[in-house]
Formats: sequence, structure tokens, C-alpha cells
Amino acid sequence: MEYFHRSTTILERGFSCIWKCETKSFDAVKAVQDVSLTVNEAEIHGLLGENGAGKSTLMNVLGGILRQDSGEIIIDGEDHSHLTPLKADHLGIKFIHQELNLVDDLCVYENLFLHNELTHGGLVLKKREMVSRSREILKKMQLNIDPLDYVRDLDTSRKQLVEIARALLFDCKLIIMDEPTTSLTNEEISNLFVIMRSLKKEGISCIYISHKMPELFEICDRYTVMRDGKFVATGNFADIDEKQATEMLVGRSLVHEVVEKSNTVDENTTVLEVQQLSCTNHFNDISFTLHKGEIMAITGLFGDGRGELSECLFGARKVNSGKILLKGKEIQGQPIIRVMKSGVSMVPRNRKERSIIKDMSIKDNLSMAFFTSKHKNVYVSDREETQRFEKSKQETNIKASDPDNKITSLSGGNQQKVIFSRWFGLDSDVYIMDNPTQGIDVGAKFEMYQLITKLAEQGKSVIVFSSEYPEIHKIADTCLVLYKGEINKKFTRDELNEMDVMYYATGSNKKEGAQSHA
Amino acid sequence: MLNKNANTPLNERDLSITAETTTKDKLLILLRKLVFDHNYILSLIFLLLIGRIASDQFLSAASLINLFKSAVFIGIISLGMSLVIISGNIDLSVGSILGLTAAVGVVVFNATHSIFVTLFATVGLGFLLGLFNGVFVGIAKVAAFIVTLATLVGYRSITIQFGDGGPQIVDNDAYFAILRPIGYGKLGSIPYLVIIFIALTVLVWFIMTKTKFGRYVYAIGSNENSARLTGINVKLIKVAIFAITGMLTGIAGFLYITRFGSVDVATAGKSFELDVIAAVAIGGTSMAGGRGKIQGSFFGAVILYAIDAILSAFQVPAFVNDLIKGILILGAVLLQKALDKERTE
Repeated sequence: MEYFHRSTTILERGFSCIWKCETKSFDAVKAVQDVSLTVNEAEIHGLLGENGAGKSTLMNVLGGILRQDSGEIIIDGEDHSHLTPLKADHLGIKFIHQELNLVDDLCVYENLFLHNELTHGGLVLKKREMVSRSREILKKMQLNIDPLDYVRDLDTSRKQLVEIARALLFDCKLIIMDEPTTSLTNEEISNLFVIMRSLKKEGISCIYISHKMPELFEICDRYTVMRDGKFVATGNFADIDEKQATEMLVGRSLVHEVVEKSNTVDENTTVLEVQQLSCTNHFNDISFTLHKGEIMAITGLFGDGRGELSECLFGARKVNSGKILLKGKEIQGQPIIRVMKSGVSMVPRNRKERSIIKDMSIKDNLSMAFFTSKHKNVYVSDREETQRFEKSKQETNIKASDPDNKITSLSGGNQQKVIFSRWFGLDSDVYIMDNPTQGIDVGAKFEMYQLITKLAEQGKSVIVFSSEYPEIHKIADTCLVLYKGEINKKFTRDELNEMDVMYYATGSNKKEGAQSHA
Repeated sequence: MLNKNANTPLNERDLSITAETTTKDKLLILLRKLVFDHNYILSLIFLLLIGRIASDQFLSAASLINLFKSAVFIGIISLGMSLVIISGNIDLSVGSILGLTAAVGVVVFNATHSIFVTLFATVGLGFLLGLFNGVFVGIAKVAAFIVTLATLVGYRSITIQFGDGGPQIVDNDAYFAILRPIGYGKLGSIPYLVIIFIALTVLVWFIMTKTKFGRYVYAIGSNENSARLTGINVKLIKVAIFAITGMLTGIAGFLYITRFGSVDVATAGKSFELDVIAAVAIGGTSMAGGRGKIQGSFFGAVILYAIDAILSAFQVPAFVNDLIKGILILGAVLLQKALDKERTE
């Protein structure tokens, strides 16, 4: 099942890390295959790739969190192919994760020193020293955070900065930053870049993973591009422009794969109307209308309350105030099953945690929503369920041989197709999809987009919650941009472009407003 | 790693069950199924063979039937416990429910001399006691361990109060005339108790594999979040699971009276929960929920008593008995874990 080969790479002087030829397989899909990456001393190396290209997997291997199936890791000329998180730490590799890894119930300084506590003789904590060192580092980063504050009281961007501070606290040789700027404001980003440049002067290397081209071009020296888990190219940023980078990123073949989309919106028929919906701490005063055949994208950055909003629309979370009208009928405050029966379906985010039932068969996973809302008998007929599976298999092109196998035997893309089919069977009016293409490969994503546009053609309305601009661009008729739980901007299809979406998602408009006001 | 490689050819053969499937392949597939999916049967056969070493009589029809008969009470309750554990919960109060339903059953029977009223009373009371557990677990969302730990002691205390500490005894004449024929009666050579046990196993198996309710129980145990988001009424299903377990325990309580004719309020059903949970675990049900088979619990209960029978056949001193039992239970569950890992890889 796993194989691989390949030989040496030239070692450059000083510090250098080389990873090669890694094959990391998840659920029969190889996440990373035959990738070589070389980082030199005092270099900021940009790692580019679409979501699902395998960047995070590769970095997890380097951080010792995942073990490569084959291939070697050479650091400073020595073979360190069997890394563990602890070893990686001793070698001075610090990993700033995409997801925040802070403990909410501990103070900032406790988080900074977590697992690296300073002690008297290994027992008693040196609290004062830890606090003062934390204060130092936070000051160096020009952050106004008290080390004694609880992490849970910080907002998302500050948590992200604390995460970065944790990496800077100890001597390190290589810092891996996995999309560190997703929830930072422009000012915070430029502060971060100042720090990165000074680290570079000290000889520290950095692997910088980001989707944002301008940032990459500003801070990085060299690049490596990955696509579908494979190595694409490496070189100096000075030698390419943004357009070339994008082409490498997306792959030429895919640039032409445009989802055929006709205008299906029926402006005269309102299907879903949301009025002043609020949920404390998550979102506030959300109002919009969704028409028949409309695909609406709702986007924003981490911490925008998007996930909670999707749950509220489906009745899975209580709201504080506001109304949700489906074809003029109030559905807010009703249990999920009623909402489903009224004609709303939901593909939740995070397939593993929220949609698949891992111990059950493909067939049962598929039929589950049908059982709860449409199935009339108590008795489940095996024959009917198999028929349902065969029908769905054709509709959504699920690649599975035996419907009695466990759902976890399928690849991510096929699992998600099963989940899509689960809801298509209900023939709902509104489909809510929260991050529907999370963690699936590019080909399967494209099929998902086709399925979504097909829904719209059938006169269904779809709300897609997404953080990936290319996806929004492909399918959305309208797009709402959230910022800190409020609708910051509404785009129609013609107005839609990535720059503007980012501008409103980062709240840049509000910031300028505030400054001019002051 | 080594084992994995060793398995691969079997896997491939498994996939290609077509016209060319030979008898040998079929046998291999059957064996694979037996080892991975129904290993409790193998365990039982293994134990019986060991028992045969100790005594020639061990494998006689009479002693086998006896083995199944002794497993009836634990077995019936373990059917309900399977539901509870598959749904990711635990019920520690079953022993106390058995005691209370049996004690009340005796009083009801003495007052009415009617089988049906007594059965109705024990099952109905079991339902209510289970329902009480279920409401706290499902709706108030208190951890099942805590709720049923509280009712374990609470129900027992009620039972003792109810019986004034002394035994509840069925009127002698009525017992011999009406109840004893059930507890000691046989159809051919098979005791009614065993027939009832098997019938209930089939019924619960049917519910768990062929109905929507069964699917919901597995779904909740496997991933409660996903289950909720497909519209399953998680609260209601949880309440129902505990209520069903209460009812099954009520049935066991009724059979207890038919068999013994009296109920010692302080000890009837005491520490049954441990044997019941052990039976379910031996039967291959995952303590983490989501996976398990009803027929597994059936055999699990029998295995538990087979261990007892073997130990007494070998004349193992009583005080070592429980130690060996404990080791065997641990071993069985470890074996299952290993097999499970092997299968998923």
C-alpha cells in the first residue's frame, strides 16, 4: 500500500532541513506523496497549496505529530526521520498550528510555558520567572496582553498571537506557521512581519503557510508549491509574479474547469426569510432573504459566528431573538426534526464530528435522515435501503462497492457524497451547507459544486457557509460577508471578487471608519 | 505490521467472492466471520472443551441446558444493558430494580394470585424505575453513571423499607400451584425459563437490527452529535432505552419469583449489575458505545456461567474463584480489542 524511494539532496551550509518523498495515507487517499522540501538557514519559506493540498499533513510530519510512511527528514545533515513532537521540540522546531491549541482555562503565561514549565527541582513552579519572561516576549511582540489574563477572555486574533508568542519563547531554529494570519488585522499582520524579519536576522528559519498571495510575496524568500498532495515547484519568489503562483497553485487543467451555472434565481419567490437573528457571543442582528433557486454563500474569517448561525438556522442551537420564516411560516425555536419536516436540510461542518456515524454502514449512514423524517414504518426493509443506496450512488456518483461496509472505509470525498445523498433524499426547499467541501480532494470538490448547482436548477435554495473564496466564486449567486458576527457586506454575483471579500471579512472598512472618526 | 501483511491475501480473496469462489475460500470467509464477528461462540466452545477435561459430564445435554438456565436472569437483564451500553451509557441500578420489582411482585401475587397481574406489576414497575433513570440521563443530562449509582442505592433502600428488612415469601400453596410450574416447567427437556430467555433475545435482536429504533440507538452511541443533526430525538431515545432496560429487568424479577418463591429484600439481585456488565463486555459490546451485538450478550451471559461451572468442576477454592473470573473477563475483552484492531487495519 505504501512505497517510496528517492535519494539525497544537496545540503546547504549551516542549518538546513530536508524532507523528502513522504507518503502519508489517510482513508486510502494519499495525503502527501513524493514531496521534497528544503529550507535553508535564515530563510522564510512560503508553502503554497489549496486547502487539502497536504500542506498541514506535511507540516505535521515535520512537527513529529504524524509519522511519514516513507522518506527521510534531514536536519543539519543528520537523519531525523523518526520524529516525535518531543524530539522536534528539542531540535528547535516550533509549530504554530492552524487551529488554536490553547487551554482556555489557564492563564496566558501558563499556556506559554505549557509542558515547558520552569521549576525548582522539577516540582515547584517558578511562577514569577515565567510571568516576567512572558511579559518580555509579549512586549517584544508589541502586544498589550497581561500574562495573568485567562486565555478564554482573549479574542481570536489575540489567541493566535499568544500561540505565536509560545513559539518565540524558547530558542528555536525553525518556526512553522500554518496560516497564522487568518484572524489578524492588517496592523497585527505587519507587526508579525517585523518580528519575523528580526528572527530572520538572528538566523532563524521559518516555514510560512498561507493562502494570501500579497503576504507571501511580502515576507517570503523562497516558495514550494503543492497540489493534491504532490510536489509541484520550488524557487525564489523574486522570479515569479502572483499570476504565475496562482497558476501553479490551481493547476492549469483546473483553471478551465468552470462549473456551468445558469441563472436560476427566481427573485419573486422568497423561500427563507431571516429577521434580526441574534445569539449572544456569536452573532448579532442577522437579516437576509433567500429566493427560490438561489445559492447564497456566507463567508467570513475565524470567529465570525458563521458556524453558530448555520446551527441556528437548522434549529440545532437556540437564538436569543429574531425570526426565521420558511415560506412565511415561523420555524425558529422548533426542534430539528420539525425544521427538517418543514423543508430544511443541513450538511454540517466537520464531517467526522458532526455528520458521519462512524460505527455504522454506508447504507445506514445514508438513510438516517430519511428514517427520522420520512420513513413511516417501524420495520426497516433491507431491500428498500439497498435500493435507496443504489439510487443515490448513481445520483451523486459514490464510489463504494458494498453498502454494508462501514462508512469509514470510504475516502473523505465519498463520505461527503453519502452525507449529501442523505439530505437529497428529503427533497427539502432549503439546503444549508456548512463548509461542505472541508477536507476532500479537488476532484470531489468539483463534483460537490456540480451537485450544488444542480440543486439550484431544481428550484432548491442553498446556503453555503464557506471560507474558501474560489469555492464561493464558482457557485454563489449572492454572498454575505460576516465580520465579528454581523453582516458587513452583501455582494451580488457581478460584484464578487476576492480582494473585496477579504477587505470586508477582515473588517478593514470598520477600522478605517473608526480611525477617521478618532 | 507483520500480521497486517499476513492478512492481506485473505482480504483480497474476501473481495473477490464471485463465481470462482471455492469451498476452501468459503470456509475461510466463514472462519474469518466467526473469528472477527462472532468470537464469543468460539470462546464458549473453547471454555466447554476445557470443562470437558475436568468432567466427562460437562458436555452432556443436561449440564448444557443447566448452564443456559443458570444464565437466564443475568442474561435477560444483559439484553437491556446492551442497549444502554451501545448507546454510550451505563445502568448500575439493574440489580436493585430486580430486587424491588420481585419484592413488589410477591406482594401483588399474594393479593391476587394472578400471573398476569403480577407480570404486569413487575414489568410496569420496572418500566417506571427505568423511566426515572432515563429522565435524569436523557433530559436532565446527568451522567448515567451518577444517576444509576444514586438509584442503585436508592431503589435498594426502598426495597428494604418495603419489605421491612425481611424476606417476602409467596404463599406456599399458590406458589406450587401457579408459579412453580413456570420456574421449573419444561417443554420437552428445555426449561420454560430458557425458552423465554431465547425468545426475548430474538425480540431484542430484532428491535436492534431491523427497526429504526435500533438504528437510532447505535447512532447515538457512535456519534451523538451526528445523530442529533440528522433529526433523531436523542433525549427521547435515551429515556426509552432506560425504560426498556427497566422492563426487561422487571421480567427477570417476575421469573425470579417463579423460580425461588421468595425474595430477600436485602440481597435479591445484589451486585447483579457487575455480572450483567461483564456479560455484555464478554459479548463484544464496546464500552465506548456504538458497537455491539445482542446475540453477543446472550452468549456473554452463558460464558460467564460456563466459567463458574468450570471452576467448580476443577474444584477451585471459592476465594480464588472471583480472581480467576476477573482475569478471564479481562482476557476476553483484551482479545476482542486485539481482534477489532486487526479487523479495522
